[in-house]
Amino acid sequence: MKMKKFASVLLAGAMVATMAGCTTTTDPDQPTTPGTTVTDPANPSTPAADGEVNLTMWCIATESDSNRHSYEAAIADVTAAHPEINFTWEAFENESYKTKIKAAVAADEMPDIFFTWSCAFLGDFVDAGRVYCLDDAYAKVKDELPESMMGNSTYNGKHYGVPLTMNIVGLFANMDLLKEVGYDEIPGTYDEFIACCDALKAANIIPFGCAGKETWCVTEYLESVIEKSVGYETLNDIFLARATWANPDVASAVDTFQSLVVNGYFDPAGDALTNDEVKANFMAGKYAFYMNGTWNCADFAANDEFFAKVKVGEFPVINADKATLGQLIGGPSDTLAVAQSSPNAAVAADFTFELGRLICKYGYLDGCGLPAWNVNYDDSAVNGLTQTVASICAQAKGYVLFGDTAMAAGDAQTYLEEVAMVYGCEVDGQTFVDDLASAIR
Amino acid sequence: MKKKITNGINVFLFLLPALVLFLVILIIPIGLSTYYSFQDWNGIGEMKFIGIENYKTVFSDKIGLGPAIKNSIILAALSTFIQLPISLGLALLLGKGIKGERVFLSVFFMPVLISTVVIGQLWLKIYYPEQGMLSILLSGIKFGSTSIEDLIVNWINNMNAKLPIPKPPYTSVPWLGNTYTALACCFIPVLWQYVGYHMLLLYAGVKSVPPELREAAKIDGASDGQINRYIVIPSIKSIIKICVIFAVTGSLKSFDLIYVLVAKPKVADVPSTVMYTQMFKANNYGTGSAIAVMLIVLCFAFALIIGAIFRKED
Amino acid sequence: MDTNESINRISTVSKVLIYVVLGIWTVINLFPIYWMFTFSLKGNDEIFGGNMMGLPKHWLWSNYSSAMKTGNMGLYFLNSAIVAVVSILIVLIASLMATFAITRLVWKGRNLMNKFFMLGLTIPIHSSLLPVFLILKKLKMLDSYQSLFIPYAAFSLAMGILICSGFMEDIPKDLDEAATIDGCGTWKTFFLVIVPLMKPAVSTIGIYTFLQCWNELMFANTFITSGRFRTLPVGIQALSGQHTTDWGPIGAALVIATFPTLLVYIFLSKRIQDSFIAGAVKG
Repeated sequence: MKMKKFASVLLAGAMVATMAGCTTTTDPDQPTTPGTTVTDPANPSTPAADGEVNLTMWCIATESDSNRHSYEAAIADVTAAHPEINFTWEAFENESYKTKIKAAVAADEMPDIFFTWSCAFLGDFVDAGRVYCLDDAYAKVKDELPESMMGNSTYNGKHYGVPLTMNIVGLFANMDLLKEVGYDEIPGTYDEFIACCDALKAANIIPFGCAGKETWCVTEYLESVIEKSVGYETLNDIFLARATWANPDVASAVDTFQSLVVNGYFDPAGDALTNDEVKANFMAGKYAFYMNGTWNCADFAANDEFFAKVKVGEFPVINADKATLGQLIGGPSDTLAVAQSSPNAAVAADFTFELGRLICKYGYLDGCGLPAWNVNYDDSAVNGLTQTVASICAQAKGYVLFGDTAMAAGDAQTYLEEVAMVYGCEVDGQTFVDDLASAIR
Repeated sequence: MKKKITNGINVFLFLLPALVLFLVILIIPIGLSTYYSFQDWNGIGEMKFIGIENYKTVFSDKIGLGPAIKNSIILAALSTFIQLPISLGLALLLGKGIKGERVFLSVFFMPVLISTVVIGQLWLKIYYPEQGMLSILLSGIKFGSTSIEDLIVNWINNMNAKLPIPKPPYTSVPWLGNTYTALACCFIPVLWQYVGYHMLLLYAGVKSVPPELREAAKIDGASDGQINRYIVIPSIKSIIKICVIFAVTGSLKSFDLIYVLVAKPKVADVPSTVMYTQMFKANNYGTGSAIAVMLIVLCFAFALIIGAIFRKED
Repeated sequence: MDTNESINRISTVSKVLIYVVLGIWTVINLFPIYWMFTFSLKGNDEIFGGNMMGLPKHWLWSNYSSAMKTGNMGLYFLNSAIVAVVSILIVLIASLMATFAITRLVWKGRNLMNKFFMLGLTIPIHSSLLPVFLILKKLKMLDSYQSLFIPYAAFSLAMGILICSGFMEDIPKDLDEAATIDGCGTWKTFFLVIVPLMKPAVSTIGIYTFLQCWNELMFANTFITSGRFRTLPVGIQALSGQHTTDWGPIGAALVIATFPTLLVYIFLSKRIQDSFIAGAVKG
């Protein structure tokens, strides 16, 4: 019962959050993709009289992916409900899938339904006119899927993607280590938090674990610090290129982050480690804190010994004048979309929404992420960490999507390189914002 | 006259399978890459002709191609002057016929057969800071109270002291995580893995030297070194040329292992990693194609120069 | 007598030294195999930090069953083998023939043609991903075995020709002249005189081509969609997840993929090594 409340509040929180952000990534002059009403006359979008429709899907839920089970369960349910649809799907590994789907879109050799990341990644495909507009299909499920959750896959006011689960950045803490320096909870204010880090350092415990070899891991820390210093609206505007990087508040927030590095809170050996290695170190008790995506909840919960020690929380507010608790980094990114070239695009669109709702449900129940869709089922069995994250999201005031997902690919690359330089103490906050302001128009 | 025509037909027929494969899979893509290199294109949407803008970007220091090319030339040099001599030495030693020749030959070739994923993961563990094999080994070798590991850590910390912001000092060497050691750390496994391949190629050459020549030289009182120097090496020159071309073009195009080991741009860049980042990460397909064209020209030039050097030697 | 003894002593010392060097190099080259095997029996906690190099504390044979259960490793292995064998055959036929035309037949432009084939060595494989994808789409070949063995063969061809010409140039010209006098035509000379002498080249080219295609991931992942044509590298890659990867089963899959190759190589190596000697031409 308690979780029911969580979920409904969660959605209330989500409604407040503006996520209709990605509209600007599309060129307004681009002729909007036909799709809402136009269907290829040669390929009637309704199933033919004999009723058989073939649909194919590509995704990244490989056999060992944590989402695999939710896909399998969802597909079993949907195909059972639609015997007239002949559904086949293939799963590919995450990194190589990115190249595969780009090549397939470039050559117009896409499957009917494909997995994609929201905002800039899907935006490029929409710009190229290769994605089917989902407005009609979305109208049928509006009650179950809030508009705010569609924002990251909305371009020029049209909907192109079905969100699955969403994730935010969480501050994971090893409470055993915190207890050693006298903390029973994750410190709630920034001053306390810093005091806690100093105490940890004095006790020869490394406060933060971060994989310097994978810059996105650094952004998990940096973006939280910036957001909690300048507020989510400012950061969102900058990420979506609606405002310039040349913002003195951002520069000083970056300096704040850098002071965490300079004060020696991060494991210096982390510079040479991958995220897998850092995560293993965190689970082995080498670091007190680990800031990373909430997709880790399922993994941490699966390890009984570690699950007893770990807590998840929100990064404290740094500048209370501009930011508040409940301003989070994250949002729906995992998305399914329908190819414009699909001969059965309209059928595929309805099918994708049904599938997306169930993948979301099973994924949430497995602890792989938080639901983008309304929760109208019993979710009391979800692991404790994910439940805590759900309660954080329930209080959400606003979300900023991960910078490298929100920004256009070229800009994201420049951004990651600059972040690496900040982390490596090669540039300070002012140089960081100056460089980005000049590189990103 | 008739003979000439049959000869012509024969030439054509003999070349046909190779030519068809070449044109369809290699030459047309080179043409397409050249075409893309003059476009502003994200690899997905519409293209826009922008002349030589992409080449200007490539030559500017914005994407760091200059250092990347420098790194790959260093690798090519190391490959030619360290990896190949080791391979040649092994091939001569085994080719002379020693006990266990075949066992050694098989074992030395094995790393080539192992997937890059395994080699990459293995070396990630070897280079793991502090607890990895290399750090443990170098911490053990001490001069007085300072170990080699300490010397390297101090050196990196001293270099980092020049940074504008005081970076907290390292306590162990982050082998793959800093610009000073990452490149060298990448090169070692790259060079090591293919020693066996070159050795096999050279061994095949050594074995095809007629044994009578060797015998005759021996009877004349030549030492092993002299036989190798004056008989074996000159007669496997064409194989050595192949190895050098393979080593140099392979070095200029190297990608897999470096990408697995370092993953992050600007730490140990080579041209292929810069190209990959531009094409598939930053969605600058045009710029990436310009790098590809540059790389093709560079490799081709090197291959021709090597061929010419060997011809001059004759 | 004295000098002979000291020469003997020196040669004994140098012999020992040689074996010590060879022994060390043997250990270095066998280590990855030992490591891969132990890696395949560990969990993430041991692989990352806990016990990176030693024998597993807990021998997780279950990694093998989960590697075999997920995906269809047997089928992927077969697919990889089919693609590799066909690629090798194509490269052998095409490069032997082309090299014969370049080194043995007399015609204008043969040097130019030789240089032209060298272009094949220069192409960075990533840059050709999209162009080759578009070409295969035009040829309606996507998602089939030929979408892999044709590009693989093409990419190995330049090296094949280079190796072939290295060996073919060493075959004395008087041999084909003698054959011509005996009344052999061009084709007969090629098949009956030249090809039998090219055994060392055949072995080295075969190995080279095999190495090029056995571990190739990017083409295999992009050109193949259906599970039934999937090759091993793609299948192994599919064992890692988006956010979390269990490395033990990947290690197990890599052992499954590598050990048969090693066994086949050890089994074949005698024949490969024999071919080097059999190919020796009496000058």
